[in-house]
Amino acid sequence: MSLDLTVPLGLAWFAAIGLAFFDGRRAWAGWAAVAALATTLLGTVAVAVDVAHSGPRSVVAGGWPTTIGITLEADALGLTFALLSLSVLLVALTYEVVAGVQARGFPALVLAMATGLLGLCLTADLFNFYVFFEIAMVSAYVLTGYGDRPHQLRAATIFLIVNLLGSVLFLIAIAALYHLTGTLDMEQLAIRIPIVQTNPAILSATLIFVAFGIKLGLFPFHFWLAAVYTGTRPAVAAILSGALVNIGSYGLLRIGGGLLPRELEQGAPVLFALGAASILYGGLQAISCGDPREVLAYSSIGQAGYILVCLAIGGEAGYAAAVLFAVTNAINKTLLFLVVPLRGPWVAAAVTVGAASVAGIPPAAGFFGKAAVFRSTVADGNPAILTLLVAGSALSFIYMFQMVGRQDWATGDGVGPIWSDSHLPATRIIAGGVAVVVIGLGLWPEPLLVLSDAAATALIGRLP
Amino acid sequence: MTLLFAVAVAILFGSGAYLLLKHDLVRVVIGMVLISNAANLFIISAGLSRGQAPIYPLADGEPVSDPLVQAMTLTAIVISFGVAALLLALVYRVYTSHLSLDLDELAEADERDEAVRDLATLTGRQR
Repeated sequence: MSLDLTVPLGLAWFAAIGLAFFDGRRAWAGWAAVAALATTLLGTVAVAVDVAHSGPRSVVAGGWPTTIGITLEADALGLTFALLSLSVLLVALTYEVVAGVQARGFPALVLAMATGLLGLCLTADLFNFYVFFEIAMVSAYVLTGYGDRPHQLRAATIFLIVNLLGSVLFLIAIAALYHLTGTLDMEQLAIRIPIVQTNPAILSATLIFVAFGIKLGLFPFHFWLAAVYTGTRPAVAAILSGALVNIGSYGLLRIGGGLLPRELEQGAPVLFALGAASILYGGLQAISCGDPREVLAYSSIGQAGYILVCLAIGGEAGYAAAVLFAVTNAINKTLLFLVVPLRGPWVAAAVTVGAASVAGIPPAAGFFGKAAVFRSTVADGNPAILTLLVAGSALSFIYMFQMVGRQDWATGDGVGPIWSDSHLPATRIIAGGVAVVVIGLGLWPEPLLVLSDAAATALIGRLP
Repeated sequence: MTLLFAVAVAILFGSGAYLLLKHDLVRVVIGMVLISNAANLFIISAGLSRGQAPIYPLADGEPVSDPLVQAMTLTAIVISFGVAALLLALVYRVYTSHLSLDLDELAEADERDEAVRDLATLTGRQR
């Protein structure tokens, strides 16, 4: 029996609306949200298993004929990012519920973001993509202010204004693409785009690139990122760097690689340059920072550069490397942001695992992400990019182990100097669980490799 | 008609961008609202087509105007309205916690916080 695509989506949606009426600080509301999100994740896994056996599935909403109605489609690429985002949200939500939720809206907002991210990954309609994108972003806007400290409010204001501008640019680009092609259906759009003149197509592609560059925190659009990541609570930082950032990577892959491959190829030199700038800028800034959260924030800017370089290389190998790197990077950052405020012997081990994974040292999962990036660069045969990647890796090695060495992670009973309100042993167990996943994926990377290859094939296979 | 729309979108977007660069947060919010509305107008102008209203029953032989852009604009207006309300609420919270909406003063508060945090990191390392 196959599960309908709308079931997990509707579940998260209605759970978010239902929980919005209750005080999320109560334990039962938090655990209800965890249960709803876990069920959504299970439903998505069921859909993914089905897709793995019998190929991509699509549903036309409301029973309209195919080219008229709004289509939801589940393929390997979308499901990879959907599973990743939902898992990160589930871990972060459980962590926060265990540590004690402090705002009444938190569980409902996380579920609303799950709805947005899941819908984003499953939609095959460009305007729906924007709507789900905004659902996820609006929850993120509120979540960045979570905690209500003055510096969080300042960071949230900047985050909201900058990202809102990005969303407006994306909306303008969608309208432009609609004007050029007369359709919003991704499949039809991919067929009609090659007929469009170069200049308007490049212009729309640039707007879309800027919109997703802001979400990813790429070099010239990074200025909001450090203040937000440093200021928020660990669970929110993990959500932003592990789940919300997927909008950027998935959007660039789906729209850049899937709909506008010609424009992506034309823009490749720019992507290389911006990717290089991101890697070097993020790495050097991270080395100069003392606060571990700031190191992680700048590290995110550097890691976004790798995804961009993979996209610029393109082809099936490049896209597969981009997916693999995006997945391992999201898991690494979730682990590190959750573990940094804690203290204890096992915490020291988990921080070391996370640092090793970001630096790309086996047996951590990050090794395979970096290896895939290097493999696609070597195949591309551009010595300048390869040198840059080596330099970027060296930088990430330095700043990560500088971060590990600077603090005494092992002493203390879980009360870190940064956030002193998450001190329960259970938070350490959750963070440790993520560390085990990172090591586990490093020791048995097969599923991850198969998934990223399938995602890249699904993306390439859509091209006419 | 197309020129009129283009000029209107340009003026709206330009004024919005100008306000966005101001030091006062309320002006920044108004700039954001103007830019969102420039986008809404842009969507309308992306599907300008003359014809009868797309409501059944349709008369034969006459062209039908594009209903899709209007549906999209309606959705975009709702979203931008909601986000503008959220932005105003957030700016109000910033005002109640800082008693100021001047971006220079907020940046000063940022620097003060950063100095405190650097000190905390330093003493944390010494322990």
